[in-house]
Amino acid sequence: MGESMRLCHLLLAASAAVLISSATAMADGETIAVFTKNLTNPFFQNERVGAENAAKQLNAKVIQYTPTKPDSIPEQLSEIEDVTIKKPNAVVFVPVDYKAMVPGVEKLNAAGIPVVNITDHLAGGKIVAFVGINDVQVGMTTAESLMKAIGGKGNVVILEGVKGSISSQDRVKGFNDVIKKYPDVKLLASQPGNFQRLNALQVMENLLQSHPQINGVLAANDAMAIGAIEALDGASRKAIVVGINGTKEAVDAIKAGKLLSSGQADPFMQACIGTIIAIRHLRKLPIKQEIILKPSVIDKSNFQEFDKPVEARSCPKWEEIAANN
Amino acid sequence: MTDTTILDRPKKARLTWIARVPGVAVMLVVLLALFGVMSPGFGTSANLSNVLVQSAILLIIALAMTLIIMTEGIDLSMGALLTLATIIYAATLLASGSFVMALAAALALGIAFGFLNGWLIAVADIPPFVTTLGTLGVAQGLSLIVTDGQSIVGLPRSVQFAYAGTVLGIPFPVIVAVVCYFLCYWLLYQTRFGIGISALGGNREALRQAGVNDKLMLIAVYVLGGVAAAIAAPLLCARMNSAHPTAAIGMEFDAIAAVALGGTQFERGNGWLFGTVLGVITIGVLRNGLNLLAVPSSVQVACVGFLVIVALFLDGLRSKGT
Amino acid sequence: MPMARRLVISHDVLQVVYRLIAVGILCAGLALLSDSFLTINNIVNVLRQASLVFFMASGLTLVILTANLDLSVGANVALSACIAASVIKATGSPWLGFLVGIGTGSLVGLVNGLMVTGMRIPSFIATYGMLWVAQGITYWYMAGETIHGFPPEFRAIGSGYFLGIPIPVYLMAVFLALGSFFAKRTTYGQQIYAIGGNPVAARLSGIPGNRRLVLVFVVSGAMAGLASLIFLARLNSAEGDIGDALTLPAIAAVLIGGTSLFGGIGTMFGTFVGALLLTLILNGMNLLAVSASWQPLVTGVILIAAVWLDMKTRGESAARV
Repeated sequence: MGESMRLCHLLLAASAAVLISSATAMADGETIAVFTKNLTNPFFQNERVGAENAAKQLNAKVIQYTPTKPDSIPEQLSEIEDVTIKKPNAVVFVPVDYKAMVPGVEKLNAAGIPVVNITDHLAGGKIVAFVGINDVQVGMTTAESLMKAIGGKGNVVILEGVKGSISSQDRVKGFNDVIKKYPDVKLLASQPGNFQRLNALQVMENLLQSHPQINGVLAANDAMAIGAIEALDGASRKAIVVGINGTKEAVDAIKAGKLLSSGQADPFMQACIGTIIAIRHLRKLPIKQEIILKPSVIDKSNFQEFDKPVEARSCPKWEEIAANN
Repeated sequence: MTDTTILDRPKKARLTWIARVPGVAVMLVVLLALFGVMSPGFGTSANLSNVLVQSAILLIIALAMTLIIMTEGIDLSMGALLTLATIIYAATLLASGSFVMALAAALALGIAFGFLNGWLIAVADIPPFVTTLGTLGVAQGLSLIVTDGQSIVGLPRSVQFAYAGTVLGIPFPVIVAVVCYFLCYWLLYQTRFGIGISALGGNREALRQAGVNDKLMLIAVYVLGGVAAAIAAPLLCARMNSAHPTAAIGMEFDAIAAVALGGTQFERGNGWLFGTVLGVITIGVLRNGLNLLAVPSSVQVACVGFLVIVALFLDGLRSKGT
Repeated sequence: MPMARRLVISHDVLQVVYRLIAVGILCAGLALLSDSFLTINNIVNVLRQASLVFFMASGLTLVILTANLDLSVGANVALSACIAASVIKATGSPWLGFLVGIGTGSLVGLVNGLMVTGMRIPSFIATYGMLWVAQGITYWYMAGETIHGFPPEFRAIGSGYFLGIPIPVYLMAVFLALGSFFAKRTTYGQQIYAIGGNPVAARLSGIPGNRRLVLVFVVSGAMAGLASLIFLARLNSAEGDIGDALTLPAIAAVLIGGTSLFGGIGTMFGTFVGALLLTLILNGMNLLAVSASWQPLVTGVILIAAVWLDMKTRGESAARV
């Protein structure tokens, strides 16, 4: 019994130490709760950094909420419920699933907490504003860059994201819209890679087996594009690959000539703008209700700006944002 | 592997547990005190009510899991089954407009699936781990195939009552969970079936010699698991106001952790039903408290694992001491 | 005593033979259904994809032989990979990375082993707790980023070829040989079988059960660490959830391969065949353009069928005396 009592005391002390050191200190300014989908995709890490950057510039504070099980719907719902107790001043929200999270947003509405929606557009609930990209148009712009590179003819394959995810559906729709415009381009296959590198790698390997001639690969995100590149390298085959998101890894691959281009999703900027709008809304300053970043593509000609770690970037001021969008 | 022990009536097991303070109770008290002191919002009735409601679905699953583990079995397919049941519930509701039909469909699915599990385990003699790992894949696959990866939406608003509604001020999910608890309690401690469940875990031979159809009993336990998933399905569906093919994936592991936390052993079928309740609430309190303290998610992940290990270590110390 | 041993060995051989026949039938069927199946490239693909599953499953086999489980393999691979990745990036030395990767994996295995033997926590729960702890540390360490871009000599381990055959396939053969040798031909290995098959007799005959169990977990962890490096080389990047999707398939491969959850029965080669079977099925489904949604269902059915057939031919039953 003595041994377990000692252990109990030790446990108490240890857990108190851990919790006290990680509990954030109260600061002046508003508290913004930022919800992202998971801990593993650098896309959302970029968003978290963007939100922190914006808040710091405007003298506000950010608390991050991320499900421990990646993309877990019940966990994000629980986080929302916990947040209605804690009552931050506002919420910047990326839904794990754009349909299933609607009741959660309605809970926030009922609690009087304003919600700014970024990245995946919610299918319901009241929001103050939406900041994101038009996934269809980004898909189209990216596909166009591939079409130009293969001279408007040849065989292509599509690597889709997670089935049921709105960004995957929209980006793939963009791809398909462009492919239809080129009668000499044949779509051999369209397979889900779950937005994951290993999945895409193995799917690509299998596609390389069934199709001896593949000229282009359209991947719905960069992780899958890189996976496809690895598969091509492994099989000593060549094809032009494009991705979407503009992650650091994609930029490196563009530099190395392995990736043709990456559709710009600029998660850092999405979160910047979303957080700035949330803070401005609280301070009763004018905002815009919808900001869709202009579709663009990162390639060999313009990657320099994105060739630095996201922490080194800085959120623009509101005047600049309003002028550009 | 098991010695022939005298048939242990569950009541006796319960008394010996209470006599020494279980590890999970210590954990729970420590966490409540810690969070109560460090986080102002924690102790409010709104928050505590939230924790209970959030834990309700897991508790319903964990109660059935307790019974299954007491038979020295396990059910890895529960999370996937709950997900599938939610999908069937939502689809039936959309098609027929009737809550009763939807619940009936979910129950039918749960019973059929539970029967499949039970049959494979009791009659075909396939180890529970393997069987339920296989049926996990089947349920998950069916969820994906039926929905093609899309959420099912467009459900009537009234669906949400099952999660958000209250009866006499008590949240509906808590009522359902409490009713399930008392049902299981009655089943386990007041019926011959309950004695049978303990015996299935500790001394199956004695059961057979007593003339009881142990295979039928084992199947029934797994059917109960399916029924639990079916009961939890409307609650989960109400929570999301939709059905999603990955909604409850992995929940069975949380349930198993809660059962183990609560003191039910994997071997010899010693079980404590209320321990499972404490286990579920402890996990819920931990997550809630860490969220309120804005502890980074990565640390939260490690904390949950740490908690499970420590609680079981404490239990191991105590049982060594006897 | 020797009589009983011979019986056990021939059972094992029989199990493997049945499985190889199954593999043969599957290959024949797939060759008929799809012209791309029997191409050299595809076979090479299948072997390489199977190797990834096998690396994770090899250490697991040893653990399951002792009637225990290791649910933390996936998280172990992720943690080892991420730490090894930063070491390689920081020092530029793949060898150091190997050392650190295997070391991390062994450390995780050691903690698992100590929890099971010293703290007497059932392996299911202990390794499940470790899964969360290791995953949490990995997430915190990676801080949402990926580590990518490794030296080509290192990457060759995962994506390189030698005489037209991918290097991971050679590595798989090495793993297989070493693992089989360890399991069947060393005293340690035989003791592991004994601990799993008849723990009371093992204890009575003086085998230091606890020390062997810890050894098994450490070896399993080390193999996971080694596996993580091959993953790293193949994917050319480290992410927080590298091994996550492969844990259950690894367990399934071990079980399909004929290793019994009750311990004492099973072989490394069986695990290899199990991994091969699983990969062949997925490969077949891909070639026949069957939607990915069907994969969990088919895997689940195959798992149950394989184990059931196994038990029928072995005459085993789930009821224990």
